[in-house]
Amino acid sequence: MKHSDIAYFGIRHHGPGSADSLVQALQELRPVAVLIEGPSDASALLPLLARPEMQPPVALLCYPQDDPASTSFWPFAEFSPEYQAVLWAVGNKAALRFIDLPSSARLPAEAMDTAQNTDAAEASEVTEAGDDEDPHRRDPIGTLAHAAGYEDGESWWSDIVEQNPEPGPIFAAIADAMTTLREGEGSIAKFEARREAHMRLEIAAARKEFDGPIAVVCGAWHVPALQATHVQKTDQALLKGIARRKSTMTWAPWTGPRLASGLGYGAGVVAPGWCKHLWRTRGRHDGATLWLAMIAAVLREKGHLISTASLIEAERLARALAAIRERPKPGFEELRDASVAALFNGEALLWALVGAELLLGADVGEIPPDTPLAPLIEDLQRNQKAARLKPEALERELSVDLRSESGLFRSTLLHRLNVLGVHWGKLTDAGRSRGTFRERWTLAWEPEYAVRLVENLVYGPTIEKAANGRLTQMVGAAATLDTLAALVQGAITADLSEASSAGLVALEARAAHSSECLEILASVPPLADIIRYGEARKTETNRLSGLMERLIVEAAIALPYAVRDLDQQAAAALVGALRKADEAIRLVEPGDDVLSGWRDGLAAVLDGPRSTALLAGCAAHLLYEAGQLSAEAAAGLLGRRLSPGTPVSDAAGFFEGFFSTAGQRLIYDEGLRGAVDSWLKSLDEEAFVAHLPLLRRVFSNLDSMERRRLIEAVLGRAARLPAGLTPAPDGGEAWRRHLERLGPLLMGGGDG
Amino acid sequence: MNAAIRLPVEQAYASELQALARGDDKQKPAGWSLSPKAVLTYLLGGKASDGTLITPKYVGRRRLMETAVATLATDRALLLLGVPGTAKSWVSEHLAAAIMGDSTMIVQCTAGTDENQIRYGWNYARLLAKGPSQEALVPTPLYRAMQDGKLCRLEELTRMGSDVQDTLITVLSEKMMPIPELNTSIYAQRGFNIIATANNRDKGVNELSSALKRRFNVVVLPLPEDMAQEVSIVSKRVGEMAGGLDLPVPKNVAEEIARVLTIFRELRSGSTADGKVTLKTPSGSLSTAEAIATMVGGLSQAAWFDGGKLGAEGLAASLVGAIVKDPVQDKIVLEEYLETVLKKRPDYAGYYAALNAAI
Repeated sequence: MKHSDIAYFGIRHHGPGSADSLVQALQELRPVAVLIEGPSDASALLPLLARPEMQPPVALLCYPQDDPASTSFWPFAEFSPEYQAVLWAVGNKAALRFIDLPSSARLPAEAMDTAQNTDAAEASEVTEAGDDEDPHRRDPIGTLAHAAGYEDGESWWSDIVEQNPEPGPIFAAIADAMTTLREGEGSIAKFEARREAHMRLEIAAARKEFDGPIAVVCGAWHVPALQATHVQKTDQALLKGIARRKSTMTWAPWTGPRLASGLGYGAGVVAPGWCKHLWRTRGRHDGATLWLAMIAAVLREKGHLISTASLIEAERLARALAAIRERPKPGFEELRDASVAALFNGEALLWALVGAELLLGADVGEIPPDTPLAPLIEDLQRNQKAARLKPEALERELSVDLRSESGLFRSTLLHRLNVLGVHWGKLTDAGRSRGTFRERWTLAWEPEYAVRLVENLVYGPTIEKAANGRLTQMVGAAATLDTLAALVQGAITADLSEASSAGLVALEARAAHSSECLEILASVPPLADIIRYGEARKTETNRLSGLMERLIVEAAIALPYAVRDLDQQAAAALVGALRKADEAIRLVEPGDDVLSGWRDGLAAVLDGPRSTALLAGCAAHLLYEAGQLSAEAAAGLLGRRLSPGTPVSDAAGFFEGFFSTAGQRLIYDEGLRGAVDSWLKSLDEEAFVAHLPLLRRVFSNLDSMERRRLIEAVLGRAARLPAGLTPAPDGGEAWRRHLERLGPLLMGGGDG
Repeated sequence: MNAAIRLPVEQAYASELQALARGDDKQKPAGWSLSPKAVLTYLLGGKASDGTLITPKYVGRRRLMETAVATLATDRALLLLGVPGTAKSWVSEHLAAAIMGDSTMIVQCTAGTDENQIRYGWNYARLLAKGPSQEALVPTPLYRAMQDGKLCRLEELTRMGSDVQDTLITVLSEKMMPIPELNTSIYAQRGFNIIATANNRDKGVNELSSALKRRFNVVVLPLPEDMAQEVSIVSKRVGEMAGGLDLPVPKNVAEEIARVLTIFRELRSGSTADGKVTLKTPSGSLSTAEAIATMVGGLSQAAWFDGGKLGAEGLAASLVGAIVKDPVQDKIVLEEYLETVLKKRPDYAGYYAALNAAI
């Protein structure tokens, strides 16, 4: 039997401090083999990591061939100790191996509930990171740092290193500390036990195989368990009977922000940007100064004036703080507190602004072009099979019926691909699709779409997750209510629940802060569409209804102020939005108090002395249509508003606002017609001529038949509606809906 | 027996300061009577080395006090910012007492403060009799603090005119003050520093010039973070003030304080207490001090006009006064809050009706 020394390096995942100490220790030890905590069946992929085309952050992706949704990720950043160990091993021609449970053994559902406790492997979904997750098991070094009063584990590590300049003893000290930490633990979960057994067996095998020192790089938590002597047979017994599924592995580009623990990656770090900075300035003494300079650069970019003298003061303050806290040098917290006091004028909120940019970073990794197939393309192929759609370069029409399961599936797939920028299918009747259960698509596949899919890998491993991720990001970037509403509508159409709930949250927050009436009004119709026609897509709309009612109330309160003293252009824009919003509100049929609030708002517009005439007219019309204004009241109102005392331009504005979409009403509504008639007769010739274009505009909405009937009515020859019958206020709309239903039936009505 | 209404804190808390000084063997910056660590213990509470209990003077984040003390230890001036009623002056007084044992070198800055009150003034009788001379010069607190290496406190710095504020620039950066009349200067002795306080919410104050601002490290003192803490502060102060004004305190005052503070905190933070609904925030500060004033107003109304009954009707007018500072914008904010939040809470029905009637 060959003799080998085994050195255990308990590291902090993604800890630049431990990466630095690790590289130094490896240099000293010069091991012939480096064993790393990671899925053992992916060992063959490891040397790829050292290729120059491979730019971290990148992640190792493992997924069962038939189910990419349960992908596991092992991300590596430039400052990850594991990554540095790989670089060292490849550079020094040492053997390189992953020793953890193979990915094929950790994927099935039974492992899922325990997998959340694993440190390097973190299931991709936030929801899968359970509540009972143990922070000190995931990041025991962070726990030690917290116990020592540090917020940032890296600052603690570097202070410890500062005090113990020899790298070797540090890892011994960490192992000691972990032994103490684990003594208090009861038995560990079966999945954890299996992982450690597997690692022990792999180490024992390596011990037989290699002649020379061996380095084991693993999460600090595991060190005591790996060092302890166990009978190999018990370990082997533990590993028996694990269900396995064939798994596929590849590398994927990753992003800096997705390394952050706040974004759902359990073993992530709080601030990848800070870690990267620490790694890049390791061994230098001006790290703190550089960090402050980076803060200043971001602040200056945002338009704040930061002088060099302030930077000097910030650094002095950081040193004084470190002295008060009895630390050898300023760490993350000291630098943050000092910059808030000296650079941000005490405004902690500004720090949050800068923080996101600086702490998360915007790095995007790159992978060599010849890496194995990306899971998104595989997922698409699987989906295409399920949807029975073939990618063809030639254009082809497709009509889907949203009521059937297969139709809905196809539509959802195409919508999701569109979110990802893969416009395989284009909706041909996009504008009119909302009321129907039928969508018409034109399909055409372009080769570049495959490339786009690979680019989208940063958002997720399956089409659903990637579309969710991408849309969520767009939601984050959207600034106005109406864009947000459109995005939410898109998310619901594509059945992306994560993105739509993120969108709703953003929408609620934005709705509260927006006082721009036009923006609120514009956001109402898309939301109304979702609520009204949501059933076709089986969406849950309760939450939306609440938001909708709130938006209506807000719009009603803001409206009377928004309509004051507008110029022509602004008034025209607002009238358009107001009509659309009102139509949408009638469609969703909100609660009575909300509806009456909305009508009160309209009434306030009508009565407001400073309301622009066009809008007052529009409000009067909407109230009249809603039955809130009786025919006599409307006639009286028209008479008053159009009376000779009113400035002609105001009267004309009111008239236009009232009648621009209500010309037909005049045919049937005697009271109204009388009021208009007498107003027209009261105009002197000059004013009448001035108003002719306006009158033309209003009456041009009527076709020749209607115009003739109007003339007949005015001249008293019209056929009247039988007494007691009045036209339904939404008659026109109802007729359109009936036609839509009738059309397909008349055309033969089959499935297309 | 001293009949002063209130003693300076270094006398009121003399025993605590002495106990801390006795057991303080840590290194002290020049001129300090306690080490920074002991100053922190004095501010945040704890125990002196001989077991004397130190009461907390500031309840809030430790980090802020650490930054404040570290700032003074670097000879940089400290500016405490915050809305009214966030204990700025209180902290400044205790800092000066703990660091120097003297909190009385103070300048209250107002719109009428001129340079003579900041730099030095003249005894005009002597000036006329003998011409400009050291004897004719009247030192200000700032002058004396420089001379003796002490801490000088400037209260409400932004209240005084910008031109007067800027006389501080030389003092802060070069630690000296020229006296051209006598062709001489005074040089600040080690230990000299400035603690200024200012209000960051009020409109119509003299914004600090960026040259001056740059010479301060700024610590913003926030409003109380949790509801329970704020309720206890308000209840205590309302009780004290009502006692001072001989107002009877009705039994339900605790419930009403909780309701009024909920309204204040929700509007101030821009979201409901359960975090479910985001709200617009009004332009006023809605500080703890204003909540206290609202409650005292309500109590007075109850005692003199409502037969001793404290309720939403009596409080509504003061509440609207506190919330609606801008007649258009704030009114929209309040209306929206009423319609989207209060309307749906049965136990706030009284407030919903009364506030609606009041606006």
